[in-house]
Amino acid sequence: MKEKLDRLTENIDFALLFAVVFLCFYGLLVLFSSTRLTATAGSDPYFFVKRQSLLILSGFLFLTIIIFIDYHNLERVSKVIYFGAIVLLIMVIISGRSTYGARRWMVIGPFDFQPSEFAKIALIMFLADFLSKNKLKFDNFLYYLFPFIYTGLLMLLVFMQPDLGTSLVYLAILMIMLFVAGIKIKFLVFTILAGLSSVPVLWIFLKDYQKNRLILFLNPNLDPLGGGYNVIQSRIAIGSGGFLGNGIFRGLQSQLNFLPAQHTDFIFSVVGEELGFVGTILLLGLYAIILWRGIKIALEARDLLGSLLATGAVSFLFFHIVVNIGMAMGMLPATGLPLPFLSYGGSFMIANLMAIGILLNVELHKVKW
Amino acid sequence: MRESSTVPEDVKQRLNWLLIFIVICFLILAISLWYLQMIRGEEFKGRAVENCIRSLAEDAPRGRIYDRQEEILVTNRPVVVVSIIPAEVDDLEKLSERLSKIIGIYPEEISQIVKNYRENPFKPVKILDDCNTNMTVEIEERKDELKGVILEVKPRRNYLYHDFAVHSLGYVGEIDKEGLLQYGNQKLQGGDIIGKIGLEKYYDGILRGEKGGKEVEVDALGQEIATLLYQKPVPGKDLVLTIDKDLQLYGENLLFDKKGSIVVSDPNSGEILALVNRPSFNPNLFANGISSSDWQRLSSDTDYPLTNRSVQGLYSPGSIFKVVPAVAALEEGVTDRKRKIYCSGTFELAGRIFTCWKGIGHGSLSIIDAIANSCNVYFYTLGKDLGIERFSKYMQKFGLGEKTGIDLPEEAIGTIPSAQWKEREVKEIWFPGDTINLSIGQGYLLLTPLQVHHIITTIAAEGEVYKLHLVKKIISADGNTVEEIKPEIYKKINFSSDTFKIIKEGLRQTILKGTGWRVNIQELAVAGKTGTAQNPQGETHAWFIGFAPYEDPEICITVFLENGGEGGEAAAPIARAMLEKYFNIKN
Repeated sequence: MKEKLDRLTENIDFALLFAVVFLCFYGLLVLFSSTRLTATAGSDPYFFVKRQSLLILSGFLFLTIIIFIDYHNLERVSKVIYFGAIVLLIMVIISGRSTYGARRWMVIGPFDFQPSEFAKIALIMFLADFLSKNKLKFDNFLYYLFPFIYTGLLMLLVFMQPDLGTSLVYLAILMIMLFVAGIKIKFLVFTILAGLSSVPVLWIFLKDYQKNRLILFLNPNLDPLGGGYNVIQSRIAIGSGGFLGNGIFRGLQSQLNFLPAQHTDFIFSVVGEELGFVGTILLLGLYAIILWRGIKIALEARDLLGSLLATGAVSFLFFHIVVNIGMAMGMLPATGLPLPFLSYGGSFMIANLMAIGILLNVELHKVKW
Repeated sequence: MRESSTVPEDVKQRLNWLLIFIVICFLILAISLWYLQMIRGEEFKGRAVENCIRSLAEDAPRGRIYDRQEEILVTNRPVVVVSIIPAEVDDLEKLSERLSKIIGIYPEEISQIVKNYRENPFKPVKILDDCNTNMTVEIEERKDELKGVILEVKPRRNYLYHDFAVHSLGYVGEIDKEGLLQYGNQKLQGGDIIGKIGLEKYYDGILRGEKGGKEVEVDALGQEIATLLYQKPVPGKDLVLTIDKDLQLYGENLLFDKKGSIVVSDPNSGEILALVNRPSFNPNLFANGISSSDWQRLSSDTDYPLTNRSVQGLYSPGSIFKVVPAVAALEEGVTDRKRKIYCSGTFELAGRIFTCWKGIGHGSLSIIDAIANSCNVYFYTLGKDLGIERFSKYMQKFGLGEKTGIDLPEEAIGTIPSAQWKEREVKEIWFPGDTINLSIGQGYLLLTPLQVHHIITTIAAEGEVYKLHLVKKIISADGNTVEEIKPEIYKKINFSSDTFKIIKEGLRQTILKGTGWRVNIQELAVAGKTGTAQNPQGETHAWFIGFAPYEDPEICITVFLENGGEGGEAAAPIARAMLEKYFNIKN
């Protein structure tokens, strides 16, 4: 153990860790600003901040555990993890707690637990194992279909909750990992074209609210008080921040509750309004550090498995960051994907830190002990 | 021990591509943020402020209206208005449905009203105007399931006696597009209440007061967080009318089933004591925003209840007009107290025969007898001798063809024929026969009852004519008198006192032994003149003008009955009843 700790302090990526810790505090500050006036549960202004702090701590616990288990053990358990995720997702559809007509949560003690978040980590692990073992077989187009089937099953289960956004995250993780694993570009191009051509068919399966979101993305002013409201208000909030922002706790849009879901999906708008361009660029910079270090870890990994694990973690965070910020600025449809390390939400926060755990693990085990 | 990495080269290459892709995405995000926050920052800042600052108007209570004894006639009552704030509604269809069950308006209609209103989603959209207590209670109780519905208490005009003096009082309503243009500089907005006709319109600036309001900071639910600015509304000022409520009511009852009007005024001040117009309507219908079926019914009624007959209606005056040529002839020396003219029952001019109303003729008459018996032939002769030029001059002196200047916005000026007028309007030259018709108040001549009233006032006041008016004083909301309306001389007409004396005698004789005998009240010396005017609309108009007491006139009266028959038979008894009422004479 002593040896491990020494290696840890010797090899750990402090830049990465610093960025993550900084982000967590940054997130708590913004979360406090956006919830202090409206916090529920006995109107304790620190209600959300306290809960989130607790979740960050437990996230770091998971992170620590993950760091110390050599990722090479994954070969033995990847299938178990994958099927575990499937079972949980089925359970949540059958017996989960429903909010806004969607069944996404399982109740465990005082916490609501969202299996679809952990399934992201499970998918990363499973695909890394599968792709690293079968890299050479992918020149065969039929074999290439397997990862799609595995991922598709998870996507289908999440889609049934229904949760379009999360199923798109699975798809993004898959596509990026396939790309990095060295899949022929023509296969990927073919897949993308096939996917696009199936959009009209998928359209039939979309729920009305999902269709509306896509329509409103194209023109939010169609319904300025309904579905388009969020995006319009969010743009106003971000834009009105200007260079330095209104100052923390002083955003008109956020403090007066014009921003819906401002502590979850639209927390970026609060950053934009209260901390301005300086605040948003700082945030982007911190994310850039994490992603850059993640790619670096993938490049320096000991083997393909480690490289793909790191790639999976990076792609997960990357997709969430771009889609969430793009959505807040009205550049991408409102898919309801939270912002890593900032959005309020326990399962997601823990999944973020588990992804960081994966990165640190790969980094730590780039040498054989 | 560090071993060399076994990560394949192609994977490393792909990872570098991924890094480039990530960098590009981040650059796009950063540039977008630059655009949104740095380039359009100011614009969005404005929109954010606009988002959360709201101006809320607070209506000023409109001034009340009292009669001359300061008995209240028009006031305001609080009504509960049901509105929806579009921005607060989650599911309009559901809300409409729930609200529909309480207020009884079709759900489709409710959602349509809200959808049609696209101005400011935080401004309440009125759904139901005057909701009753049961509805109010039910909406309060179900507040939770009616998110977005608000109840507002607003002052509503209340005409206590319904159609009482409605044509004078007028009514109020929401300002329309034209009104907004007209009052452009007065801070009025759509939905504001203004006077539409009558005194409500004429004195709108005084009655309306000044809207107050506040600027508040609101949250996304439109709930007020803080008041930034508050301006108290300035209540409108009250009007005290010259109208005597009892006399007016009495007159209205006299004309209950008739068409016509009664004007009663004080010749020594111009104060109007009663201004009766029938038929009438209920102005409260307008105060609530008149329904299209009510409007349809009122505006298509062939008895024209919306018309203020005494100031807008144009009628042939008939024989009551004879006073004018009589004055003209006396002043011009065409006739005098002694000149007698023989009435054979007919009068011939240029081959045309004009008849007197009395077929067998009146015989030889002086001007006093001619007035008393309303002899046409006497006045035909005066008309012929005067000629239209001199005749016109005296009509002008009487102020005919001008507004009386009453404080009502809708006054008509009438048709006063002259040679020039006929050439201009009828494109014909003036025939001597036209003058003959004019001299008995027929032909092209059309006057409003108020103008006719001016004639009798001129005689009663012997040329010192006060402006007719309906408002005695204006009182501020706190009760301090603000302005007393002083009697104002409208016109000083310098006819000789002899002329007035002769005319007055004629009018007195009319009552004592002539056509006006039905107004011969023992306790009261009345002077007057009857008129029966032929008109193209059918049955003759019945007229009576008069004043009393004869020696020192206190009031002047004009009675007009549209298609009411004979002046002496129909109009005179009504005048008598009014005079008895005013002078408190029991019969």
